[in-house]
Amino acid sequence: MLSLKSVLTGTAVSVSMAGVALADGHGGPYAPYAGTTLVINVPAHPHYNAMMKVLPEFTKETGIEVEVDQLQYLKMREKQTLELTKSEGDYDMIAYVVFSKADYVFADQLENLARFFMNPKLADPAYDAEDLIDGYVANIGVAGGFKGYLPGATGSLFGIPYGSETSVLAYRKDIFEKHGIDVPQHYDQLLDAACKVPEVEPGMGGMASRAASGHQASHAFLLHLAPLGGRVFDDKWEPIINNEAGVAAANALKTIVDCGPEGSQTFGPAEAAAAFSQGQAAMFMDSIAFAAGFEDPSKSKVAGKVGYALHPEGVRRGSQTGGFGIAIPKNAQNKEAAFLLMQWLTSKKGDLLVAMAGGNPSRFSTYQDAGLNEKYPYSATFGEALKYADPDWRPIIPTWGKINADIGTTMSQVLTEGLDPQEALNGVAERARAIMDEAGYYTWQ
Amino acid sequence: MQSANVNRVTPYLFLAPAALVMAVALLYPIGYMIYASFLDWNPSQRIGEAEFVGLRNYINLLGDAAFRESFFVTLKFAAVVVSLEMVIGVGLALLLDRNIRGMSVLRTLFILPMMIAPIVVGLMWRYMYHPSVGVFNRTLKSLGLDPIPWLSDGSWAFASVVIADIWQWTPFIFILSLAALQSLPQSAMEAARIDGAMGWQQVLYIKLPLMMPVLIVTLLLRLIDAFKVLEVILVLTNGGPGLSTEILSLRISRTASEFRELGEAAAMSNYLLILLVILTFAMFAYNKAVEARTARLRKAAEEDI
Repeated sequence: MLSLKSVLTGTAVSVSMAGVALADGHGGPYAPYAGTTLVINVPAHPHYNAMMKVLPEFTKETGIEVEVDQLQYLKMREKQTLELTKSEGDYDMIAYVVFSKADYVFADQLENLARFFMNPKLADPAYDAEDLIDGYVANIGVAGGFKGYLPGATGSLFGIPYGSETSVLAYRKDIFEKHGIDVPQHYDQLLDAACKVPEVEPGMGGMASRAASGHQASHAFLLHLAPLGGRVFDDKWEPIINNEAGVAAANALKTIVDCGPEGSQTFGPAEAAAAFSQGQAAMFMDSIAFAAGFEDPSKSKVAGKVGYALHPEGVRRGSQTGGFGIAIPKNAQNKEAAFLLMQWLTSKKGDLLVAMAGGNPSRFSTYQDAGLNEKYPYSATFGEALKYADPDWRPIIPTWGKINADIGTTMSQVLTEGLDPQEALNGVAERARAIMDEAGYYTWQ
Repeated sequence: MQSANVNRVTPYLFLAPAALVMAVALLYPIGYMIYASFLDWNPSQRIGEAEFVGLRNYINLLGDAAFRESFFVTLKFAAVVVSLEMVIGVGLALLLDRNIRGMSVLRTLFILPMMIAPIVVGLMWRYMYHPSVGVFNRTLKSLGLDPIPWLSDGSWAFASVVIADIWQWTPFIFILSLAALQSLPQSAMEAARIDGAMGWQQVLYIKLPLMMPVLIVTLLLRLIDAFKVLEVILVLTNGGPGLSTEILSLRISRTASEFRELGEAAAMSNYLLILLVILTFAMFAYNKAVEARTARLRKAAEEDI
């Protein structure tokens, strides 16, 4: 419940990073921009709180100052939507939620990053873009390729993942040991374990999951859809959400919620995480961003008792990709300096700094780092999980908001009103097709 | 001649600033909303770039099952909430319309819920409704009863938001009814008492009819408010489970921010506006009719004498 408050208050904190003296003799690439003040807009999120801790380092090194406008992420999105339509914007760099990629790129509001990476005065030859986690880059950064929102021959880069997340399974080592439950590798085992826990450990739910009506229920459903072999649309944009895999995913979610802790039907991510950290559930499968909270003894009753495993396999492996990326708005005032900041934050050095401060790495090499693994022992598992991060676990298209909400309310009816999953998904597919038709996705058929 | 003209114009001159402010502050936004409802407008566009689609938004909405459901939920919510609040509020006022020691303290306590910010009310009730640590379910459990799925079952969730709204807004009706009661003419009461009217007869035939004009306005204010309630439900259920508590204002806000359809959101707001205008006119017409009837009766009675 604690983080519910932070979701709702949407505090706007404006913190100036000024005050670090400009050192003399900034030679090199940063010299022309020393003294510039960048204004950036980022979400109130653990990763970006960690970023705040490393920004002074950037200012010290480059002489570029950064002013940060931090907002709750949905508020941030609303503000950006307005901000980006202005002819002269206030923000030099923005962090965006992954599903904003479709809206901003479609409205031609983000800079294509090619012209910066081509500029020898700006691009750092040691940047090593290959080391960036490719699932994230595909999901968050690239647009214009396959299906329009994925990489491909015609795709190009509009943003760089920063504060990205995938899903892992967190479980109670002590409970699993006590009752001889194996760590689930496959979905069958996962569902068995989820319903076995409440039987052998009265009062404890199997798995805490998001399930609240709307976005949360949809998110939870999609989390199971990809590994169970399903997709929302086929390659021709025909809805296939109501096929066998879709029904299996809906049933999986229903099983999990039915065997979950009390009141699961209304959980958002924060409540589900709270239920797990208060010992009311034996498993929690969601974003890696929650792990730091579970290991913090001041907030969690289960610190030190939690094991982490890969998102179980269904007919394939496929964990979620999501979180945030950073980009330069078309209407920014200081684009070159903003690019330098972006490049610095996602460089090997910057990525490790932010990871050590509690952020989520964007690079494979950061996950391998010995120092990081010592500080956060679960890092290796997370790095492994990223190999299976599925960039296409949900479509990122302008009509998604509406379809997502429909999946969410319908799934909530399945969970709370006993609506038949097949019937429910047939309805979703039919309505999704109408929405897609109206938006012109079948123009060429 | 000249001065006569000036004299005739003067009042309008004095009215002009007020009319101007009214036009800018009231008509402009409404006009903007009506115009926007004819557009296919997403928030990444400026209004000038949006495509004009005529009545398409309105027609689409009529065919949209989720919108119809939400419209129905809104009507149900407003009807249930306002009738219960009227009964409880007026009832409390009738009970407390007497000289009790500490009445002013009591009155302040009663209107406290109204003063709390809706978001806070929502959060407070959300904690109380919490399935395992909430006070309601803990009490039920300690009494050996089954816990209730306050927010996780469609019909219970509806009941839960109704309860929270009644808690917050009954005091409004209570305080207005009490004021009305205390300003009733003592002569009428006295006459009734002398004629031997019992307590409930006084209430039914004297107090309530005399309070009627105030009650009608109160009812109208509450009704308009009930159609627009947003924050408490947003925090409590966010419209769920399913669409069971998705009232229109919540759907409008989701349409604008989640679905990114500003035109459709504007069209929805206009439907809500039309509904409220009809309600308001109906209520005033009813009031007029009742007044006309009383006047007629009085006239007839006077003629009889």
